[in-house]
Amino acid sequence: MKLDHFETTILFALVCSVILGLVTKKTDEERLRYGLYCFGCFMAALFGIGWAMRILHG
Amino acid sequence: MPANAVTAAPIAPLRSPILLIPLAWFVPGAGHFLLGRKWRGLIVFATVLVTFLVGVAMRGPLFHPVDNGDVLSRLIQFGGYLGDLASGVFYFAATFMGYGPPDVAGYSPDYGSKFIVAAGLLNILAIVDAYEISTRQKD
Repeated sequence: MKLDHFETTILFALVCSVILGLVTKKTDEERLRYGLYCFGCFMAALFGIGWAMRILHG
Repeated sequence: MPANAVTAAPIAPLRSPILLIPLAWFVPGAGHFLLGRKWRGLIVFATVLVTFLVGVAMRGPLFHPVDNGDVLSRLIQFGGYLGDLASGVFYFAATFMGYGPPDVAGYSPDYGSKFIVAAGLLNILAIVDAYEISTRQKD
């Protein structure tokens, strides 16, 4: 299987967010919200670092 | 007991952590399943399996402890080996079936290797969660 960097990172963020949401909160609603929050943080880091590399590297 | 007393909700049967932790390690999600959290156990199992299989599909090499090399390399290899091992039955099934691609250059096998380790680390998080449930520290 050959995924590019972006697809791989999205997949990694997804599986990590599922487990982080599952093991950290008490109710199902809190778990869902925290999982989505983690996924959002992963995405923010992905796009932030991606753009930073593009700007700094040229 | 007063007539208007509220009866407590039935508490899921708690298991001994001594049995629970090795089982939760060997079969990801089994700890939650035994504690009556069947859906959560199923999600843990599926997530760890998908992560491991993605790593295998990307031909990620497994880590092995080495005796030669500098301290940092040995530490990375040993840490990666522990991460691989934490996947439990998936790691043993893969090695039993002869999985062991060479460590070649390229980003895809490199990501694959990290996915296999991440599967084990996610399983460790699930084991800790199952332990806390079994000791009534959380629901």
